[in-house]
Amino acid sequence: MKRRTLLQSIAAIAALLPLDRVRVFAQSRELTPAAVAMLHEIAPTVLPSSIGAARIRETADKFVAWTRGYREGVALTHGYGHPRLEKSGASPVPGYVRQLAALDAEARAKGGRWAALDRESQRALLDAAFTQAGVKALPPRPAGQHVVADLMAFYFRSSEANDHAYSAMINREVCRPIAITTRKPAPLG
Amino acid sequence: MPVHETDICIIGGGITSAMLAERLAELRPGVGIVVVEAGRSIFDAQNRGRYRDRAIQYDEHPWPGDYLEDQTADGIISMTMAVGGLALHWGGACNRFSEEDLRLKSMYGLATDWPIEWRELERYYGDAERRLNVSGEPSPHPGDRRSTPYPQGPIPLSYNLQILKAWAEQSGLSFSALPMARNLTPFGGRDGCCVYDTCGEVCPSGARYSPDYTFRQLLTPKKIALHDRTLVRRLVLDEKRPTIAAAHAVHQDRPGEVVEYRAKTFVIASGYCWSSHLLLLSAGPRCPNGLANSSGLVGRYMNGHRFMQATANIDDQTFPGQNMTHSLISREYFRCPADRPFVRHDTRVWESSAGRDPRLRAPDGTLLMGEELLADWRSRTRGSSVRLRAYVDVHPSADSRLTLDASKKNRYGDPMPKIEHRFDEATLSRAAATKAHVLGVFATLAKAGNGRIVNTSEGDYLDHPAGGCRMGADPAASVCDSHGRTHDHENLFVVGAPTMPTGGCTNGTLTFVALTLRSAEAIA
Repeated sequence: MKRRTLLQSIAAIAALLPLDRVRVFAQSRELTPAAVAMLHEIAPTVLPSSIGAARIRETADKFVAWTRGYREGVALTHGYGHPRLEKSGASPVPGYVRQLAALDAEARAKGGRWAALDRESQRALLDAAFTQAGVKALPPRPAGQHVVADLMAFYFRSSEANDHAYSAMINREVCRPIAITTRKPAPLG
Repeated sequence: MPVHETDICIIGGGITSAMLAERLAELRPGVGIVVVEAGRSIFDAQNRGRYRDRAIQYDEHPWPGDYLEDQTADGIISMTMAVGGLALHWGGACNRFSEEDLRLKSMYGLATDWPIEWRELERYYGDAERRLNVSGEPSPHPGDRRSTPYPQGPIPLSYNLQILKAWAEQSGLSFSALPMARNLTPFGGRDGCCVYDTCGEVCPSGARYSPDYTFRQLLTPKKIALHDRTLVRRLVLDEKRPTIAAAHAVHQDRPGEVVEYRAKTFVIASGYCWSSHLLLLSAGPRCPNGLANSSGLVGRYMNGHRFMQATANIDDQTFPGQNMTHSLISREYFRCPADRPFVRHDTRVWESSAGRDPRLRAPDGTLLMGEELLADWRSRTRGSSVRLRAYVDVHPSADSRLTLDASKKNRYGDPMPKIEHRFDEATLSRAAATKAHVLGVFATLAKAGNGRIVNTSEGDYLDHPAGGCRMGADPAASVCDSHGRTHDHENLFVVGAPTMPTGGCTNGTLTFVALTLRSAEAIA
């Protein structure tokens, strides 16, 4: 097939697609640079400062990588005790981008960037955003309701955070010799 | 129409099928065995680490494509349909029943007796444990004596379980490490355990037994043929005799073409749901109520056990996450004195983080952020939560049924099953006393270690379901004999869970396998 013929065919097929579907195709499944920047700005507010600035940045980067790895329409866990099939929903990324943009706009409306707001103003903005998104508790894992709650879940539900909370090297869900589990976990470095 | 001829046709590809095929190949080397399974083979063990990671990060199912969307039932507890069956993602618990399970009628005047002597079944338990490479420790109760030792010593107790054992035994009950089909060192082509702690979802090392390994080991030397993605829709009676002449199936890629299996012997190894379903679907002019159903009992006496659970808070310090899928078990209440009100149950203890997990809001509703959230979490890590559970012996009525639901059909137009569990009168009449007893045991456990019960709940379904083709000596009161041979058709067997008259009071898989190994000797 000649290149021009191919392009004509693609254009003809595209013309037949409903507009809303075209819009879905057009939505990015990657966080925008502005969204990533905003995520990095918010991360020190919601992740514990005791893990250090570098680890906070690294956690936010891993969360961004998590969003890239998300797959739509995949069967979710339905092992023993799960008699019905559920599939993963649409990518949370478009929603995340909107939510981060909204937080940025609200911060600017209060007179500056997120990082410049006092803690209670940050809390008030997040509280309202979570309420609007229907977030009532820390999700068991990122669930697509609100990007900041998901970032928090991404860290606080991790094996690393469990160790940090207990100040001990438990290494939950980390492959390790069974003999190690028979001893009291060593104190965290 | 493609026709496959063989000696033995096994319908279903779960754990009982794997164990049966393995044993038949030993008993009759060279015998033709075809295993027909509706679901697909998932033999990519090399990918299981990646599947596990995605399950943890994204909640994706770690057994891709292990289901048929239109082949589901009301009342089931798992929709898995693949080579390996539900044992692809079982926890690996391998508890034995006790003699009382087989003698409910003669000892207590309840339910029915099984047509097997305990001493005989006990031998097959030993064989099942050897094949599954169960790790365990001898029970302290004389009634649990064994003729063979466990093939492996117990899974070493985590530090947490050592703490919880010391706590729980202050109550006067004795607890042991839960026996599990989990390799401590490499065995059977599978690696040793390295505590991925996702036994119930997927085990990347293969330490927790799953039947796909057995099937692969049988396929390599061509001891069996495996036809996956092939759904058996009907068994066909011989035109002249009351024997099964063929099984008619359909392959997923060729939905319009009937595949015929002709065999000397047919074995239904399709679990508690699909075994009865196939017999009922196979109704015809000579058997209008389904095959093997002259008693009218196919799909009846569906059973399992109820469960009650609790969370206790105790002062001793544990560190949740050490080995969450292992537990302690007490068999103290497996036996009930005949002169006391009947109650039987196991008692299990797990580490837990219930009530001690990170939370988004403080009790006053304040949103917690960053270091505040961590501080709140840390303030709740002192002491321990303990998960308690009891599987309770309950007995089915004849109305505890699997029926064909004409309102729900698969792509071929076959009605799908509907399971509704019902208890017999005696079970219903003692329900309140049973609940009071179990909650009393939980309270006693908690109190012994300065603990408090903080919540209790009851399951709203029966766990480890079984039944539907119950075994017995009387053809009018059972579907098959003690070997699973159907009373109506001499070359048709049912094996494993469906044959159990009652569901016991602890995990059933080891018993399904032991019964199947016993059946193998009659089938061979």
